[in-house]
Amino acid sequence: MASLRDIRKRIRSVKNTQQITKAMKMVAAAKLRKAQDAIIAARPYAESLDQMIADLAARSEGLAHPLLQSRPVKKVDVIVLTSDRGLAGGFNSNVTRRVSRFMFENAKNYEAIRVITIGRKGNEFFKRRGSEILKDYPGLYSRVSFATAQQVAEDVTARFLAGETDAVFLAYNEFISAISQKVVLSQMLPLQSVGSEGAGTTAMIDFEYEPDRRQVLDRLMPQAIAIKVYRALLESVASEHGARMSAMDNATNNASDMIGRLTLYYNRTRQAAITKELMEIVSGAEALK
Amino acid sequence: MAKITVEIVTPERRMLQVQADEAIVPGGEGLFGVRPGHTPFLSLVEPGPLTVREGGSQQVWFVAGGFVQVANDTVRVLADQAEPAANIDVEAAKRRLEEAQARMKGMTAEDARYQVEAATVRRETARMAIAKR
Repeated sequence: MASLRDIRKRIRSVKNTQQITKAMKMVAAAKLRKAQDAIIAARPYAESLDQMIADLAARSEGLAHPLLQSRPVKKVDVIVLTSDRGLAGGFNSNVTRRVSRFMFENAKNYEAIRVITIGRKGNEFFKRRGSEILKDYPGLYSRVSFATAQQVAEDVTARFLAGETDAVFLAYNEFISAISQKVVLSQMLPLQSVGSEGAGTTAMIDFEYEPDRRQVLDRLMPQAIAIKVYRALLESVASEHGARMSAMDNATNNASDMIGRLTLYYNRTRQAAITKELMEIVSGAEALK
Repeated sequence: MAKITVEIVTPERRMLQVQADEAIVPGGEGLFGVRPGHTPFLSLVEPGPLTVREGGSQQVWFVAGGFVQVANDTVRVLADQAEPAANIDVEAAKRRLEEAQARMKGMTAEDARYQVEAATVRRETARMAIAKR
């Protein structure tokens, strides 16, 4: 039976842990709000860009662009977005598991599946697993901006155009709500069916293009890809904080439960000790009679 | 008198949305002005000054390349970056310019990064030119 002092020590240690998890939860909640704002702020641009592409597609008979060209897929790149830090529940393992499954299922279909990692956790996972890591972007989360997303997009686009890869996928956690994230593995290159979402409000307007459609399209396409990467980054960051918030909330509740149970045990033990002592005194007095 | 709506949107957020009399945009083929009733127009935007005139006053922004869409008396500039001319940090721009120029040394036009660095040089040069005015 544990001594009273041991139990007290235990309770104190659980309380300390609880304080940490509570603080982490609060921090995650604050960061989550910021991340959500960033997602909302990024919407107008993405929507306008989509609309421009849709308008352009509606007017030209089929868009022809190297980035839209699909070819027999032999080599595949997967960009895996994880976080740099752990303690976020299943956030990282959900993505890595999804990508592992994809690699396993498609091992026979493709000649090579290579990963590009964003985030330390994913990088460590695939290194341990012995997969071929093409490129890592360490420390990217400290400077999430459109410019960084653009850089990643440029790197893979160059590979695609050079024929080093035939298709590029993005794997990340999509932010649904603070308590729910969904792992998404979607194709990024070649770009698929842009503009098929139909014509926007300006679809009936006949734009004049300057310098001409071709050149506008040439600039729109890389931008559309960069936006995809940027969106995935923002979603991933928001998901990370959401996942950590709920994980830390659970941990805090579990700690409360544990403290409750330990306190009950502590009181029982204390009561038992008192009773035992009383019995000894009574029986001692009895013996003296 | 009719007004136009001028919007500057970057991938990160909407920077500006105002009513104005006229906007002068650095288009792919030179500066062009937009006033109410302008024909629908879609153009590339080069790094340069975006002037928004309203009444007697005007504000100048620096926009770093992108697109502009003119329709229904709305000028929507989609720029990679944008900032008011008054906020330009000339020192930082100069530093970026010099760094890009240093990296470009020894590169040839065929280099993969050459275009990127050349774009940086163009952008920062335009940014500094606006700040100096």
